[in-house]
Amino acid sequence: MGEEHGQVMVEAIEIQKYFKDLHVLRGISTKVMRGQVVAIIGPSGSGKSTFLRCLNRLEEPTSGEVFIDGMEVTHPRVDLNKVRAEIGMVFQSFNLFPHLTAIENIKLAPMHVRGLNDKEAMERGMGLLKKVGLVDKAHTFPDQLSGGQQQRVAIARALAMQPKVMFFDEPTSALDPEMIGEVLDVMKSMARDGMTMMVVSHEMGFIREVADHILIMDGGIIIEEGTPAQVFEHPTQQRTQNFLSKIL
Amino acid sequence: MHSHVGAGKRKATRAPTAWYWCYEFLLPVVGLIVAFGILFLPGKGQPSPGQWGLIIFFVLSTLAWATLALTDHRKPKWFSGLAAAGAMAVLGLVFYRYSNARWEAMGESFFNRQVMKGAWSMILSGLGNTLTLAAYSAVASILIGLVLAVIRSFRNRILNTFIIAYIDFFRSIPLIVLMVVIYYALPFLGIALGPYASGVVSLSLVYSCMEAEAFRSGIESIHRGQVEAARALGLTAFKTMRLIVLPQAIRVVIPPVTGDMVGLLKGTAVASVIALPELLKRGQEVMVWKSSPTPLIAVTLIYLIILLPFIRMTMVLERRMKRWVKSTAR
Repeated sequence: MGEEHGQVMVEAIEIQKYFKDLHVLRGISTKVMRGQVVAIIGPSGSGKSTFLRCLNRLEEPTSGEVFIDGMEVTHPRVDLNKVRAEIGMVFQSFNLFPHLTAIENIKLAPMHVRGLNDKEAMERGMGLLKKVGLVDKAHTFPDQLSGGQQQRVAIARALAMQPKVMFFDEPTSALDPEMIGEVLDVMKSMARDGMTMMVVSHEMGFIREVADHILIMDGGIIIEEGTPAQVFEHPTQQRTQNFLSKIL
Repeated sequence: MHSHVGAGKRKATRAPTAWYWCYEFLLPVVGLIVAFGILFLPGKGQPSPGQWGLIIFFVLSTLAWATLALTDHRKPKWFSGLAAAGAMAVLGLVFYRYSNARWEAMGESFFNRQVMKGAWSMILSGLGNTLTLAAYSAVASILIGLVLAVIRSFRNRILNTFIIAYIDFFRSIPLIVLMVVIYYALPFLGIALGPYASGVVSLSLVYSCMEAEAFRSGIESIHRGQVEAARALGLTAFKTMRLIVLPQAIRVVIPPVTGDMVGLLKGTAVASVIALPELLKRGQEVMVWKSSPTPLIAVTLIYLIILLPFIRMTMVLERRMKRWVKSTAR
């Protein structure tokens, strides 16, 4: 747990989501404290990604409320761009902007959303590239980078907004096995620095090591939650046991 | 590069088949027949039926020889080129000798340089008008098309109904009809546009729709994840369009838009029906003045000279585009 114990960073209340007739999220509520790392696992189609995407309204939740650091994300009159600026998001497919170099990818949002000038953005961007170990790739275009390097640039791009919380939507699923480690290392160091993180992932080693709390989802609900030790060693639900036996 | 090397290797390692030796044998035999034909064909003038038989045999031999030579992958490239050129020359010779084409008369009517004396300045002023007309219309149609496509991408149902109606309407009207209506019919409604304005307006109306469609397909070709990543960073929808989607979409769209501009430049010739003194109209005027069709050929040549490089450029752009799309595809 983080130092500032007890301060709620993310709160979701009774999130429901329908895609037409398909009931994807059936009432999800959870709280994430400042500095906490929460892992979300579950079989495919269980609604993990949709849940994460509802939290910054990349998907519009059908009902329910979301608060990020006290701001009501789901309020109809909220300035969504302002809210999203506080939330870093990392995607499975990286989604770097292919017409921009690595450093330009990182500088874009600080300059156009936060209003930094070029020099400040450059400074911040190079600092972050150093952190993810890619200073020498600053002026490289994404198509010249490996998957792992692209994902690290994507993480730096999200961090450049100095977000209050980071969402990771299966950040390593699209990577070749030998590149997973470099991305997870960056994420571990972020966790050590006290970043609040919500991670949809199947990297059990990473989760065991870094996560403070685990949510197990199935069929659009949270079927079980707790610390990694509780959930992995003593799962209470049959469905949890079935799922864990398949992936562990 | 690599594929060349590969092809070369394959060529070298494939063993010659029996059919290949057939080739090697037939090629000189048929070639000899053709060579003899060239020497002993009847002279210029109306051939007798027997001579016609000879000529037909000769033409068929030439075609057979060219087919053999051109389908032989083992022969170097220059050989195929030589074979094609040779066959064409032989067939041309036959046509020249035995057709009842009136070469002199044709040259005098259509390729008479005498006629063009003192007419070039008029033709060139027409060219100037064609180019300005095309330039104004091109800029207007690209800008309008871009704006329409961007508005359309925001998926406002009411606005899109109007945009789609506009596009469908002007895409389905022939340019010549539109131009005539705007020039001759609108004055009855108190809107009198000169030939120049009518030309620009009608070309822009038609081509803005084409460009709107081109830009729309470009915008739609950009992966959804790009927009999501930009919005997740807090960029507004407009900035996402300006900074992320359009720079990528425009790259995709440059080849088709360049192609449309070729069509637009050719379309300016339609303005000759509303008395706009562009290239074709000037050509027609000179034709009447000199009572000769030669100016028409001159005009054709000018269109060719302007448009051929343009068309080459479209192809180059397209190839470069494909490489770019491939390198950024995930």
